[in-house]
Amino acid sequence: MAESARSEIMARLRANSRPETAEQIGQELAALGFASPAAPPAADHCISFMANVLANRGTVALAADRAEAVRVVGRYLYNRFRTHKLVAGNDPRIAAMPWRDAGVLPRFGTAENGDSAALSYARLGVAETGAIVTWTGRANPGRNNLLPEDHLVLVNREDVVATLEDAWQRIRRDLPAGSWPRGINFIAGPSSTADVEAQLIMGAHGPRRWHVILVGDTPAQALEEATGLSRAGG
Amino acid sequence: MKHTSGEFMQHAEAALADPGKVQRRDLLGLFMPLARDAAAERYGDFGALRAHLKRVRTHTMENLEHYLTRFEEAALRNGNQVHFAATAEQLNNTVLSICQAHGARRVAKGKSMVTEETALNEQLLKSGLEVIETDLGEYIIQQAGETPSHIVGPALHKSLPEIRQLFLDRHKLGERTLEQAEDIVAEARSILREQFLQADVGIIGANALIAENGSTMLVTNEGNGDLCANLPPVLIVCTTLERILPRAEDAMALQRLLVRSATGQAQTCYTSFYSGPQREDDVDGPLATHIILLDNKRTDILASDYSEILDCIRCGACLNHCPIYVGVGGHAYGWVYPGPMGSVLTPLLSSLEQSNALPNACTSCGRCAEVCPANIPLPDLLRDLRQEENRRQLDSPRWRRGMRLHAWFLRHPALYRRLGGWTMSFLALLGRRRGGFRRLPFAAGWTGTRDFPAPEGGTFMQQYRSRVKGRKHRG
Repeated sequence: MAESARSEIMARLRANSRPETAEQIGQELAALGFASPAAPPAADHCISFMANVLANRGTVALAADRAEAVRVVGRYLYNRFRTHKLVAGNDPRIAAMPWRDAGVLPRFGTAENGDSAALSYARLGVAETGAIVTWTGRANPGRNNLLPEDHLVLVNREDVVATLEDAWQRIRRDLPAGSWPRGINFIAGPSSTADVEAQLIMGAHGPRRWHVILVGDTPAQALEEATGLSRAGG
Repeated sequence: MKHTSGEFMQHAEAALADPGKVQRRDLLGLFMPLARDAAAERYGDFGALRAHLKRVRTHTMENLEHYLTRFEEAALRNGNQVHFAATAEQLNNTVLSICQAHGARRVAKGKSMVTEETALNEQLLKSGLEVIETDLGEYIIQQAGETPSHIVGPALHKSLPEIRQLFLDRHKLGERTLEQAEDIVAEARSILREQFLQADVGIIGANALIAENGSTMLVTNEGNGDLCANLPPVLIVCTTLERILPRAEDAMALQRLLVRSATGQAQTCYTSFYSGPQREDDVDGPLATHIILLDNKRTDILASDYSEILDCIRCGACLNHCPIYVGVGGHAYGWVYPGPMGSVLTPLLSSLEQSNALPNACTSCGRCAEVCPANIPLPDLLRDLRQEENRRQLDSPRWRRGMRLHAWFLRHPALYRRLGGWTMSFLALLGRRRGGFRRLPFAAGWTGTRDFPAPEGGTFMQQYRSRVKGRKHRG
């Protein structure tokens, strides 16, 4: 049945397709180019990124380096849950961080139902939409984005790209042929729903809170500026 | 799903008789366009973005066999099983046989209009499977035994007290009272979390299929689709042929248009690209993944004069901007797809005989075409369907007589203008004192709910002529 459906459908499509070679089709497509990105809220794309994360109802913290990032995560966990419990994927970048300094002892592996917080090290940040990008694998199992109450995400300043097209260029560069992961996830906010009388409510099925920590040398005024922009734009 | 498009007028009258629901729809019709307009403005040149996607879609549709073949090759390389389904029934049977092959009992579903179109749940339930909808809106209407009233927000027709009562009836709540919307969401979250963890099969839809890498794009805010795609050991993606786009960048262009037009966001909380089963490096995810590509008359539509409706990206903007949809709501349309896009698609997916009321549920105001991110000329397609209805004599004899009379007058412009002029002068004279008419012969449909204003000044042609003459004198 399935095979006959396939040949039936393909035959109908052939009758409607233009008789062109793959090469001609490729040239036509290349000539179409790509779309333009959205107008950024600020000239500096790290400021745009933070402003958009805030507009997406995330929260943002700055950390000059990984040692400070550890302290930022520790403070966040203590303020939210009065614990230092954390789950993180087997990401060598997370494993190499000085967790003991902040009294945080991450459990490395897969998030389970009931975990309060998970930490991901994003592959990319996208300034255009305030999204972070992760992909599935040992370093960040798919569940870690979805099951915890709070999702904490580290992203390096130098990994923040301007546009969604730039993001795909980086994804292709960083993922050599044959190593394509089963899932590539753009995340832009805590899980939300507006299905009850169109009221926006956080924590529909996934994390209730989404906390992005920008790692690198970012002046505190940059975050203030981003906060102002997100209020003006929201 | 039972098809009752033929009873559109009866449904509409019933819908208008419930003031609470009318008010909620009015609010939706007020706020959704505001959110969309603000988002389009923040983007910049939204018109250029729409034009770009249209060019990409046209190119893709003209070479659909090429791109579908590329997608299939890439998806197979990624380790998926790819199935084709010519009809709704074939899709349902394929899903069922996959479930049976894996010995599945519980199925968790993400939001999928395609499986609404094929009435998949009925088939699975009949075969003894447990099927749970996990999008909150879909879950609510599944519990209520209803159908979606909106393609993006399927339960927006229900009020908070209605949903509360539904949950009180359906769940073991104990002392919980579910006062606020937050409580309702938290309740559904805890119930559905268990379902995700226990499900044997996850079913999701796709917002785009990417030919270059064989991935499917899933756009959601709740993350329920992602839970369906990551937790159960088997994943089935139910989708249709025309979702194909050549490159990941094209999916990004679509995503930019889709979410701004649907909810006014720049990006939804989750935009995910799933490409297959667990890799060597994975510690979670499905062990088997299936993609089912449904035709269900799409290849016929592609070959017809209505092919542009295949560019629809299911954002719901035409619904939110349509005075008829906002007036009567989605259930009046009597099948899966309501509003302007549904009024084009329903007759094409079923038959014009069954649903000729839908192309007539249109005032030709043109707002849908103004906002359609896919630049589909919806009012033109609806007009063409009405013309086809007339040609195939599906409209009422009385209507056809009226149309013939009207056509005869239009072919005799001198007579039309003279008669029109006389009528308007006569009405102007009669209505001079009151400024309008409560009742007019042959126009009870109009005057039944509002007054007909008395004409002031000449007809359009009279005014046009005198202005042209005036301009000539001045020039």
